[in-house]
Amino acid sequence: MALLTKTPFSFLRNAVISTSIRTISTTKQLNIKEIREHKDGNKLIVEGVTVPSPRMELLVKSEKVAEEVLSVEKPTCYLCKLDLDVKHTDVLILSQFVRSDGCMLPRRVTGLCRRQQKKVSKMVTMAQKAGLMINLTPSYCKKDPKLRYAYKKFNTYFDEKTIFMKRIPDQRDKFKR
Amino acid sequence: MSAAKRVQQWATFARTWHIFDCKWQDPYQSANVIKKYLMGLHKPIYHPMNDCGDVVVCINSREIALRGDEWRKRAYFHHTGYPGGASWTLAWELHNKDPTMIIKKAVYKSMKGNLQRRHTMERLFIYPGEEIPDDVMQNVSNQIRQQRLVPQRLDHIPEDEVQQYPKVMEYPSDYVLK
Repeated sequence: MALLTKTPFSFLRNAVISTSIRTISTTKQLNIKEIREHKDGNKLIVEGVTVPSPRMELLVKSEKVAEEVLSVEKPTCYLCKLDLDVKHTDVLILSQFVRSDGCMLPRRVTGLCRRQQKKVSKMVTMAQKAGLMINLTPSYCKKDPKLRYAYKKFNTYFDEKTIFMKRIPDQRDKFKR
Repeated sequence: MSAAKRVQQWATFARTWHIFDCKWQDPYQSANVIKKYLMGLHKPIYHPMNDCGDVVVCINSREIALRGDEWRKRAYFHHTGYPGGASWTLAWELHNKDPTMIIKKAVYKSMKGNLQRRHTMERLFIYPGEEIPDDVMQNVSNQIRQQRLVPQRLDHIPEDEVQQYPKVMEYPSDYVLK
């Protein structure tokens, strides 16, 4: 299903580049892997386990995808096709693009177009600064926005219009003469 | 006069008490709304010489939200009157000292500076938390609608709801879960 939504170019690149880099592999290639570590007495066992993707059944599919794959003129990413109005408070969507330590996934993993990748990554930053995804943070984080330093502990909201602005206008500018 | 009209008439001439929850609200945007109720601008009988303003009780003023980097960019000016007595306090420093001050100053600033302003401000009650005295709470009969939606934190959403939420992104086929 994910392959359908991808553009032919990124599919090709994915197949050629990402597999050719990892030339040595002991497990079956082209499957999601999870690295598990556990201790057996004195030995530390690290194994890569092949697991089915946890979000396979829940994946949303755009209705237009099938038509647009046939008439490929200008390749667009799946988020453009879904045409969602995502806000920085929509943490259920934004958390899908994030690793477990709250770091934004790179474009070769998310498969977004340049503009959407920039938009989503900025919105992830906004959500993190507002303390809305505090459970997806590095392990040394105190996991409570109220315990943060100085001005960071107070509630902050953001305006999505400012994402692609070169200079963010000050709210006090309108009082200037 | 129907019963509904009659009650509307009473409410217009009475001093109604409104409650406003400041949680995740921008004080400068909500000040423009609070101002209307304080001055009585929402009433058809409004006139500047007519004392028809209502009372507004603001709760959770500690939980207000400022936009972007305003907490460390907005400064509040004060001058003692002596030479070298000027001081600039940043918004987050002011909020640390007194969590009711920002919303109070925002409402004060949103109104026109005339002799009535100080008396209108007397009708504004601000409380940093959810607890209000009972003699204030028993007067309240209306709630002012919030301007912004209160966002929900990801760790406050139940675990299975996060798991079952429709997914937009699928991992590439050779992705290592982290």
